[in-house]
Amino acid sequence: MLRRSRWLSTVAVGTVCALALAACGGDDDSGGSTGASTGGGGGEQVEISFLTHWAPDQVTKLESVVDAYEQEHPNVSIDVRAVPFADLLTTLRSQAGSDNGPTMAGIYDLWLPELVRDGVVAEAPEAQAAEIQSDWPANLAAAASVDGKVYGFPNEVDLYALNYNTKLFEEAGISEPPATWDELIADAEKLTKRDGGRITQQGFGLISSWAAGTVHPWTSLLYSNGGELIDEAGNPALNTPQALQTFELVENLMSKAKVSDPAMSTADANTTGPYLESFVSGKTAMIIMANWWESALKAGMKDAFDDVATAPIPVGPSGDGPHPVSYSWMTVVSGKADDAEQQAAWDFLDYLNSPESGTDGASAMAELLQSMGILPSRTSDLEAYADELDRPFLKGYTEQLENAKPFPIVLGGQEFTEALQKDLEALQAGQMTAQEAQERAQADAESVLGAAG
Amino acid sequence: MTAGRLASRTSLYAFALLVCVVTAFPVLWMVATSLKTPSEALQSPPVWIPGSPTLEAYGQVGDVIDVGRSFLNSALIATITTAGILVTSLLAGYVFAKYRFRGRNALFALLIATMFLPPIVTLIPLFRIVGQLGIDGSLAGVIVPNLANAFGIFLMRQFIAGVPDELIEAARLDGASELRIVFSIVAPVVLPALAALALFAFVYHWNSYLWPLTVLQGNEDHAPIVLSLARLLTYTGSAQNTPIVMAGATLAVLPPLLLFVVLQRFFVNTMARTGLSG
Amino acid sequence: MRVARQPLWTAAFLAPSVALIGVFVLVPIGLTLWLSLHEWSTATPFGEASWVGLDNFKALFEGAIVGRDFRQSWRNTFVYAGLSIALILPLSVVLGIIIQRSTIRGRTVLRTVLFATYTIPMIAVAIVWSKLYSPSEGPINEALGWFGIAPQPWLSDTSTALVSLVFLNVWQQLGYFTVLVVAGLTQISPSVFEAAALDGARTLKLHAYVTIPLLRRTLLFCVVIALINAIQVFEPVVAITQGGPVGSTNVLTYHIRQVGIERSQGGLASAMAVMLLLSLMVVVTLVFALARRAEDR
Repeated sequence: MLRRSRWLSTVAVGTVCALALAACGGDDDSGGSTGASTGGGGGEQVEISFLTHWAPDQVTKLESVVDAYEQEHPNVSIDVRAVPFADLLTTLRSQAGSDNGPTMAGIYDLWLPELVRDGVVAEAPEAQAAEIQSDWPANLAAAASVDGKVYGFPNEVDLYALNYNTKLFEEAGISEPPATWDELIADAEKLTKRDGGRITQQGFGLISSWAAGTVHPWTSLLYSNGGELIDEAGNPALNTPQALQTFELVENLMSKAKVSDPAMSTADANTTGPYLESFVSGKTAMIIMANWWESALKAGMKDAFDDVATAPIPVGPSGDGPHPVSYSWMTVVSGKADDAEQQAAWDFLDYLNSPESGTDGASAMAELLQSMGILPSRTSDLEAYADELDRPFLKGYTEQLENAKPFPIVLGGQEFTEALQKDLEALQAGQMTAQEAQERAQADAESVLGAAG
Repeated sequence: MTAGRLASRTSLYAFALLVCVVTAFPVLWMVATSLKTPSEALQSPPVWIPGSPTLEAYGQVGDVIDVGRSFLNSALIATITTAGILVTSLLAGYVFAKYRFRGRNALFALLIATMFLPPIVTLIPLFRIVGQLGIDGSLAGVIVPNLANAFGIFLMRQFIAGVPDELIEAARLDGASELRIVFSIVAPVVLPALAALALFAFVYHWNSYLWPLTVLQGNEDHAPIVLSLARLLTYTGSAQNTPIVMAGATLAVLPPLLLFVVLQRFFVNTMARTGLSG
Repeated sequence: MRVARQPLWTAAFLAPSVALIGVFVLVPIGLTLWLSLHEWSTATPFGEASWVGLDNFKALFEGAIVGRDFRQSWRNTFVYAGLSIALILPLSVVLGIIIQRSTIRGRTVLRTVLFATYTIPMIAVAIVWSKLYSPSEGPINEALGWFGIAPQPWLSDTSTALVSLVFLNVWQQLGYFTVLVVAGLTQISPSVFEAAALDGARTLKLHAYVTIPLLRRTLLFCVVIALINAIQVFEPVVAITQGGPVGSTNVLTYHIRQVGIERSQGGLASAMAVMLLLSLMVVVTLVFALARRAEDR
C-alpha cells in the first residue's frame, strides 16, 4: 500500500520538477530577450536565427559561413533553422507573430506583400536599401520592395525552359526541339508510346499536386502566347482568347492527343515525386521545369544527364516569342525582433550577400545557390559565375533571362496561385473542358484577388 | 464433427489467418524494405525479400535527423504529459465522485463535453495563447496545454465512485488529510484504471503530431520522433531513398510497439474493464 | 453515497484541471467563436481583428472558390468518416466475436496483431502505406496482379485517393475497435449464449439476433469514437497527398490549418472550425437518436 502511494507522490513531484526543467530548457532560441551582457567592450550578446528551406547539405555550408561571421563578431550568435519546403510558409506565418520567431528568413517574393501588410517584416535600413537598389538588376530590387520600400536582399532567380531527352528525340527521329505549339503537339505524339490503353512513355509531362509546378509552366506557355495573368490595373486577365488557347493546349495534351499521363504528373511535399522520376527514368520526353531541378536530375540520372537538353518555351499562335515565367526569392528580417537583433541581422545579411564573403569576388550566398545549381541574382555574382552559368544545361535558361516575365507579386498571390492550380488540375484530370476551366479560373481569380484587396 | 461444422471452422481459421496476414503485412514490408539496397527499392515489379539485407539505411537515417534526441523529446513529452494527466484526473475525479458542492454536475458536464472536441477547432487561438505565454517553440508549449484531460477525469470519476466510502471515512477518522487519502487509499484501489489511463495517454502523446507540429515548427532540437520522421521523408523523398525512410519508420515504430507487446495483456484487460462500465 | 462538503479541498483538487481545461480548451473555444465573426490575420494580435458579422459563414456557402474548397473538404471528411465506420464496425464485430466467443486456436495472437497497429504512429502508417500503394513499385498492385486484377492508381487518381486513405485508416484502427467489442462481449452474461444455444439458435442467427442487439451500447460508443477519430485525419494528407489530387483528399483539419495558418486567414478558418463543430454535434445527435429508436423497437 505504502509503496504504491510513494510511487504516486514521486510521480507528482517528478511532474513538477520535469515541468520546471522543460520550461527552463525550452526557450534557448528566445529571440525576445537580449540576454545579459558578456563582459565589457564589444557590446551585448545578441542571438539571432535564420530560417531556410534548404537541404541538409546547404545548411552545413550556411553554418560554415555563420562560423566565419561569428569569429569576426563574437557577440553575435546565429542559429540556423531548416524546415522542408512545404512547411516553410506555414512555419513563417505561425512564428511570425511571436517573439521566438526567426530573425531572418528566406522567402518567396510572392509572400512579401502580406508579410508587409501584417507588419511582420522590417524595412531595410538606408545603407542596405541603397546597396540593393544599385547592385541588383532593377526588376529584382523591385520584386523585393513594396510601395518603393526595400524589404530584404534578393537571393535566387528562377525561370523555366523546355527540358527534353535527346536520346528519346533521336529514337523518334526528331532533330530539333519544338518551337511552336503545333510542333509541340506533333512531336509529343511521335514521342508517346502506349501499351494497350496505358501510356508507357509520355511525350509531354505536366505537373500536379504542387502550386508552382502546376501553375508556372502553364503561365510560361500563356506568356509565350501573348497572354497575361493580371492586367496593368491589377485585375485578373484570364478571360482573354490567348488564355483560352492555353487552356485548350492542356486539354489537347491530356484528353485529345493523350500525350500526357496524369498518374505520372504528381509531385510530393518536397517537390520531388513521380513527375521527376518519370523524366529521370526516360518515361517523359519533354517537360517544362525550372533551372533549380538540375541537381535533382543529376543525382537521379547520373551519366544519363548528358541526354538532357534545354530549349526556349514553345511559342503559341498569338505569341511573339518565348517568354518564360521568372520568380525570385529574398531574405527578410523580422519586424518583431528588437533593435539590436535587427541590426545584427542586417549586418549578417550584408556580409552573406557581399563579394567579400565568397571566393573570387562572389558572395557566399551565390556559392550556396550555385552548389544547388541555382542562379544567383547580384550583378557581381552573375559576373563572377559567368563561366559556370554558361554550361549547356543552364545556358538554355540564362539565354532566356532577358525574355523572362516575372510572376506578378500581389496581395493574395499565393492563394491566387493555389486557386489556379486547382482549376488546372481539374482540367488536367479531364473534369472540365478548356472553356469551363477558363471561366472558373477567371471567377476564382477575381474572388481571391478581390478579397485580398 | 459434421461436415458443416468442419467447413465453418476451416473458414474461420482461414479468415483469421487472412486478417493476421493483412494486418501484419505492412509492418513486415516496412522492415524488409529498410534492409534493401537503393536499387532494390526502385525495382518494378517490387522485390519482396531483400537479396542481401543491409543495415546501411539505418546509418543514413542518422545523417538526416538526430534520432536519439528525437526519442528523448518524445519520451519527455509522453511521460510528463501522462504524469500530469494522472495527477490532475485523480484529484478531479475524486472531487466529482466523493464531494458534493453546488454546480458539481454542471461543471462536470462542461468539462466532459470537451472530450469530444476535435483539436483543430481550437488550434489557432490555442497556439496564439501559448505564444503569449511565451512557451511556443519549446517542449513546455507542447506539454502544458495537455496536462489535464477530460477523458481522464471522466474515467477516474467512474472508478472512484466505486471505492467504498467506509474506506475513506475510516482514513479520515484516523486523521489522514484528503491529499493523503487520495494518494494512499483511493489510488491503489483504482490502480487498474490509472494504469489503463497511463498507457493510453502515453501512446497517444507519443504519437501526437498536429499539436507538436504547430507549436514547434522549425525547431528540430525539440522535435519528437514523429516530426523527425516527417522531416526524414521530405529530405529523402526520391524513390531510391525508400530504404532510409523505411528504416526511420521502423525506428519510430519500435518504442510504442515494444511497450505494447510487453504490456499487452494489461492493455487489453484494462480496456475490457474500463471500456464501457458505468 | 455518503458525500462530504470540503470546500477547501474541492477548490484545491479541482484547480489544476479546471484551470488547465479552462485556459487551454474553453477559452480557445470562445475565441474561435468570437474570431469566426471577425476578419483577422493570424500573424497579428487579437486586438486587430475587425468585425464582419456573418460574412465568413456566408462565404462558406457561396459559389466562389472559398466556399467550394470548404464544402469539398467537408464532404471529403464526412465521406471518409462514413466509409471508415462502414468498414470498421462489421469487421470489428465479426473479429470480436471470433476472439471472444469462438474456440479456434490463436485467438490471442489475432487480438495482439490487430491491436498492435493502434500503437503505431499515424505518420509511420501513412509513409509505409504510401509506398505500398505505389503504382509500379508497390506490392499491392503486384499482389492484385496475381489474382488477375489490373493495377490501381490508388493515391494518384481523384476517384481512388480518398478510399485509399480509408483503407489505411481502417487498418490502423480496426484492432482498437475489435478490443472494444470484445470488452462489450465480456459484459454479456454467458448464460444468454447458453440459453440461445439451447433454443437451437445456429451461430449466424445467434449472433445476428442475440449478440448484436446486446452490443448496442458498445457499438454506439464505437461509432461516436470512430467518427471523432476520422474527423481528425491529418498525417496522411499533410505528409503524402497534400490534399490532392485535385483536392480529392482535402480534409477539414488540413484545410482549416492551411487557411488559418499558411494563409493567415484566421477569421475564415475559425468560421470553418465552427461549422465543423456544429456538423459534428448534429451527426452525433442523429446517431444517438437513431440508436434510441432502434432500442425502442
